[in-house]
Amino acid sequence: MNNPQQAARVGLFFLLGVALTWVTFETLSGGKILKDDGYRLIAGFETLKELKVGDEVRMAGVKIGDVAHTRLAGRRAEAVLRIASSVKIKSDAHASIIMAGLIGSNYIGIDLGSANAPDLPPGAEIQTRSTPDLNSVMTQIGEMGKKLEAALGNLGGALSGDGQGGPGLLQKVDLLVTENRENLSKATANLQEITAKVNRGEGTLGRMINDPSLHDDLVASIAEIKAGATEAKTFLANAQSIVDEVKAGKGAIGALVFDQKAGDDLKASIANLRAVSDKIAQDEGTLGKLLSDDSILRDAQAIMKKADRALDGMDDTGPITAVGVIANGLF
Amino acid sequence: MRTLNRVLEGIGSTILLLLRSVAYLPTLPRQFGRFVEQCYLIGYTTLPIVAILSFFIGSVLALQSGYAAQNLGPKQFIGLLVGLTMARELGPVMVAVLLTGRVGSAIAAELASMKVYQEIDALETMNIPPARMLVMPRLAATLFMMPVLTIIADLVGWFGGAIIAKYTSFIAIEPASYFATMRQYMDFDDVLNGLIKAEVFGFVIVLVCCNIGLNTRGGPREIGAAVTRAVVASLILILVLDYFVTKALM
Repeated sequence: MNNPQQAARVGLFFLLGVALTWVTFETLSGGKILKDDGYRLIAGFETLKELKVGDEVRMAGVKIGDVAHTRLAGRRAEAVLRIASSVKIKSDAHASIIMAGLIGSNYIGIDLGSANAPDLPPGAEIQTRSTPDLNSVMTQIGEMGKKLEAALGNLGGALSGDGQGGPGLLQKVDLLVTENRENLSKATANLQEITAKVNRGEGTLGRMINDPSLHDDLVASIAEIKAGATEAKTFLANAQSIVDEVKAGKGAIGALVFDQKAGDDLKASIANLRAVSDKIAQDEGTLGKLLSDDSILRDAQAIMKKADRALDGMDDTGPITAVGVIANGLF
Repeated sequence: MRTLNRVLEGIGSTILLLLRSVAYLPTLPRQFGRFVEQCYLIGYTTLPIVAILSFFIGSVLALQSGYAAQNLGPKQFIGLLVGLTMARELGPVMVAVLLTGRVGSAIAAELASMKVYQEIDALETMNIPPARMLVMPRLAATLFMMPVLTIIADLVGWFGGAIIAKYTSFIAIEPASYFATMRQYMDFDDVLNGLIKAEVFGFVIVLVCCNIGLNTRGGPREIGAAVTRAVVASLILILVLDYFVTKALM
């Protein structure tokens, strides 16, 4: 093989290797040759649980850094967080250790904090929140299980009797049923009979359930009630309009109720009427005397009698008078 | 005692050969043709067997981990397992083993026969140091070609695992999920770690094979013995160094 061809193949092969390395690098590391070292924050916890160096730091679910290292500082554990330079963390943001899965992987979750709080400077300590880990949750579940077991034991004892507190609920119920078996049988038989009657349409309840005409009547009654309600509504609407007009001072009643002058006139009229009636009651004036003195009545009766007789006399002399009148007229 | 003496002699002569070869590094541009030839032999001609072997190693890894995970559950991590294992361990080690079998043995046989047939002596007589003409270009070519071979082995192994993970009934993981876990949990550092290991392995294999070939004494029968010694020593060194380099890079 000649050298130029060999060299070309070697060169191609080498370039292929470089290209593949670059593709792998781009895919796995996002193409950053120098890693962004970011800045550090310190997060103190009572316990770091399963947190390890290299675990992720996430804000709202987005990876913003990782745990640079962990250390014991006095009576607490500290995780030094490496945060990307482009991410600013607010001073009131809280960090907490969050379990990502059941196989022991954890990450540090940081909340967003408030928008107007100042940013944490590099090296500052971030506020933390402790979250229950799997073990404490399991312990609590275990305690809850124990309590549940005890409660179920008590319930079982209450139901079946434990030999100390007398017979259990089930025994009592059993005893009650045994003692009242006959009554219960009778009651059941009666109930059966009643339901059979109802089913056959006997009795009020049976008819109500089985007779379709009752339904029709009910529907008709409801229709009548509806019509009555409509009329009542109309009536109320009219009454309302009248009341409105009265309130507006229209009409006689309106004027009477709301017009001050008309009220005053009415008062004055009533006062006058009262004065007149008082005078009549005290036999003052013509009308009073007319009502209280019966001599006037007698006089009137005598007058009427006299008038009656006079009229009778006129009946007899009537034609003569008429001739006289005519003669006077002619002559 | 004799064996220990031979081992120590071997270590010492290898280090001396290394130092002499490094000292001749400035002569590389003048030997560019030889360097390209060695690159061709070490890299280009080794590629097919590296690709085939890596494909099946990746496939077997996916198959075995899928078999183990079918009752356990986390099948989606097969991608991560294959990716990390290929990149950090099996990729460089398998390329090194193939290099030993294909290139290391050839170097040892070639240099041993040159030594037996006194060609090396002839070179030395002509004031041409064998470390300059025979060893240094091979070392440089190995350093150039090992990363290329290793990255190809990694990628072919990953794809082999992805294909098997998709088409095996009891695994049935989509390539997207397979590569997603790989991308999520792997870093280029893992791949770089493997490339560094491959460089170390390749450098040591070529150096040891050259040294054993150049130190062959006796007749033609010694050529075969030298090749056997070179391959055995290289394989042992690969596995021993693997531990220490892995430890050092963690």
